[in-house]
Amino acid sequence: MVDAARHPNITILSNTEVEHVDGYIGNFSVNLVTKPRYVIADRCNGCGACTDVCPIEIPNPFELDIAPRKAIDVPHGQAVPLIYAIDMDHCIQCYKCVTACGKLDAIDFSQQPEELNLDIGTIVVATGFASFDPTVIPEYGYGRYPNVITAMEMERLANSAGPTVGRLVRPSDGKRPESLAIIQCVGSRDKRFNEYCSGFCCMYAIKNAILLKQMYHDIDITIFYIDIRTPSKGYEEFYQRARESGIRFIQGRPSLVSEDPDTGNLIVEAEDRALGQVIEVEAELVMLSAAAIPQPDAEDLANKLTLARSPSGFFMEYHPKLRPVDAPTDGVYLAGAAQGPKDIPASVAQGSAAASRAARVLSQDTWEIEPIVAEVDPTLCISAHGKRCGVCARACPYGAIVVEQGKPAQIMTAKCHGCGGCVAECPHNAIQQHHFTDAQLLAQIKALLQDRPEEKILAFMCNWCSYAGADTAGTSHFSYPASSRGIRVMCCARTDDKFVLEAFRRGAGMVLVSGCHPQDCHYITGQQVGARRFERLRSTLERMGIDAERFRVEWISAAEGEKYARVITEMHEALSSYDPAAIRQQNREAAPKIARRLRKWDEDPRLESIFQDLPLFQEVAE
Amino acid sequence: MAVQTKLDAHFAQEVMARPGGEHLLTCMACGTCASICLVRRFHPAFNPRRVLHQAALGMREAVLSSEEIWLCSACDACYPRCPQEIHISEVMGTLRDIAIGKGYEAPGPFPEVDRDVCSGCAACARVCPYEAIGPAPDEDDPSRQTAHVDKTRCLHCGLCVATCPSGAITLEEVNEQEVLTRVSAGGWLDQPGRLAGGPEPRCLAFVCQWSVRSDAAWARAERFGDQVRLVRLPCSGRVDPAVILWALGKGVDGVLVIGCDDDECHYQRGTFAGRSKVYLLQEMLATMGYQPERVRFSRQSIYERFGLERSIEDMLQTLGQLPAPVAEQAI
Repeated sequence: MVDAARHPNITILSNTEVEHVDGYIGNFSVNLVTKPRYVIADRCNGCGACTDVCPIEIPNPFELDIAPRKAIDVPHGQAVPLIYAIDMDHCIQCYKCVTACGKLDAIDFSQQPEELNLDIGTIVVATGFASFDPTVIPEYGYGRYPNVITAMEMERLANSAGPTVGRLVRPSDGKRPESLAIIQCVGSRDKRFNEYCSGFCCMYAIKNAILLKQMYHDIDITIFYIDIRTPSKGYEEFYQRARESGIRFIQGRPSLVSEDPDTGNLIVEAEDRALGQVIEVEAELVMLSAAAIPQPDAEDLANKLTLARSPSGFFMEYHPKLRPVDAPTDGVYLAGAAQGPKDIPASVAQGSAAASRAARVLSQDTWEIEPIVAEVDPTLCISAHGKRCGVCARACPYGAIVVEQGKPAQIMTAKCHGCGGCVAECPHNAIQQHHFTDAQLLAQIKALLQDRPEEKILAFMCNWCSYAGADTAGTSHFSYPASSRGIRVMCCARTDDKFVLEAFRRGAGMVLVSGCHPQDCHYITGQQVGARRFERLRSTLERMGIDAERFRVEWISAAEGEKYARVITEMHEALSSYDPAAIRQQNREAAPKIARRLRKWDEDPRLESIFQDLPLFQEVAE
Repeated sequence: MAVQTKLDAHFAQEVMARPGGEHLLTCMACGTCASICLVRRFHPAFNPRRVLHQAALGMREAVLSSEEIWLCSACDACYPRCPQEIHISEVMGTLRDIAIGKGYEAPGPFPEVDRDVCSGCAACARVCPYEAIGPAPDEDDPSRQTAHVDKTRCLHCGLCVATCPSGAITLEEVNEQEVLTRVSAGGWLDQPGRLAGGPEPRCLAFVCQWSVRSDAAWARAERFGDQVRLVRLPCSGRVDPAVILWALGKGVDGVLVIGCDDDECHYQRGTFAGRSKVYLLQEMLATMGYQPERVRFSRQSIYERFGLERSIEDMLQTLGQLPAPVAEQAI
């Protein structure tokens, strides 16, 4: 940290929060607020004279409230920058610190929050994790029994710079415990709280056990675990060393910790799976290896930076295998446990990776993006004519569209990822996506349904999952009927409901719309935009007299070639059970209603060449 | 146990297809259920984790023929603590259903109804937590109703035995005679308490067997010696007010009923029944002009390891402060 603070190209803004982020890769504009310290940073030399005289003692959050701190203090001894700050919630304004500070005159009670605006090229999110609060698991007694502590509290107790100068004592009586029980997976691998494995708790439990064993040879340590997970380099050897050093490992998740009120000792009940028996272990101190959980304000930061979050609540990477460091928003990178529970080596590796990913952008004058971006026709956008709309902005997963009444919607091209959701959502056909224009896609529909359309299944597939799934079906040689015809779109959100209607007007037998599973969507929430639309379309089709089974929506991942083949086979079988005349009849009856829905397209001069073979709306209506 | 070589691949699917069995395969064998379960105190071989694992592996015969599936009393101590949210008692119920379908029978013991004495009042049906007993047309005389026991549902808590106003129901180990014998064993009732001019108050304690987690806690409660008589019952709801009054009449200074905490009852609402009986009895004593403090219900939370000892201490202290008239006046 000290090296970073001294580096000419690094500025550390501590005590500062992100308020608002605008802009796009290479051109972010970030509003920050530096909270008042009530100490002038340039004048404070970190001597600590103010702390010595401060009469107020409050719990120290850095020491997890085990030790006190003063109302004017630094967060911890190694803090960088070393600038003291006053906790105004507790300061009684006795001004003893002002006197102690003397000629430096660094204390300023009139300090106000300072707003700051920075032009930033790239952003790395490394906000870390929070620790699960075990009080919600009553059976482990945390908060009820003083001698049940968390692993984080143990870290402070066993730390030579901690409140006990590295001497292990137990909270109830300050005595050095002769026995310790460690319980793993507290709040993790537990569907009631967090389903995921926190990953690094096995290693820190073993580390703490070995450390304490080295400090106190006679200490009796028992680790209760479900599975010990030591997959990284050298970890398994470390675990073996712990076993050899006499640390007891019991495979079995404890169900109850109760206290002997006379001694303050704890009795841990668990089933030892190797014995097949329930055993009770009495320990003078119990340590809970609590789960690593997302920071409580992760949601807030995700909104500011348009980040996606995994079901577990950690920030989601762009692609789990191929782009594990990139956030879905270009120019934003993830590092460390903010992206998922991680130990120190993995966090350092990801931090370095994030820095070099960012440097890749910063070292260039221009940045190439995919050409498939969306573009607004300002003459067609009704917002330009002073009407309220904003449908496109609501559909955009990246916040790339700004709609101001009286002005046409603005798409920040560099922020657009080309999912096409806005194009399909726009009720006035004012947005087009390059390479996936309405004209191009309608021409495909027309061509694919030229010949015996009632025998065809028209499948709209998203580029990333379903199209790749169909590809997998092919490369894996899964056989399925040849009646399907595929149209590739970037995201199922681009599949306009009017495309489906057009397909039925052109006589299609069946229509399949497929996309990613909700959690796999490559455009954060694109799948949801599509899914909502298709749900509405279902009832529309019903009203038009098109059988429900002739329109199907399926979420097929890139690996699910088998599912793609199965869905097409099922649809083909359903289609074969129809009399082609019945399908033609249904489509014919629905045609006038469809034509009414598609009137705007029929009259659109850009699409004239596509619809010239169809009767005009007026003719159909007659 | 011998190794079973034939594993039935469909058995787990069969269990999961039934309501309650859905999550069988998600068990990661952490043993939380096995260590929280108190059935093992009285049946050391019982292990829900192993039953689940056997079912998941497909050891059909071993599971269906085992006594274990009938021992779970559906107290659901394990379910809220299971990290995989497996409703183990429902899985057990499903296994029992399958076993019954295959012709296996529940081992019992079951309450026996003396049909000549039963009046068909249905009090037992109202108190039974499992809908396992209720009136039905009598076999010999279909014109009258008598209580019938559904052996596939009964988990032998004994609530019906204590509730029957006619004394028509008996259950092995917890019938009236057995309880009276346990109370008066060793001539305990003949020793003088404060009521009968003795030096120290004597207390009779009916203890729900599930409310005491460990032998250590039980041993601590035994240190009071002859001053306190501990009588183990399957459930505090099994306590009979008539027996309490009888004991008070015999010169016992007070009666303590120990049951589980509200949501920890082994028989769903047994502790509720026990508590209600004691409260009514207290009101009755007050109406009759006696001290209601002589009977007390004490709830034991699973989180208080030596709560039993403390409850008895409190009770003895209360009894020591009460006046000590002669026994005949007390009741």
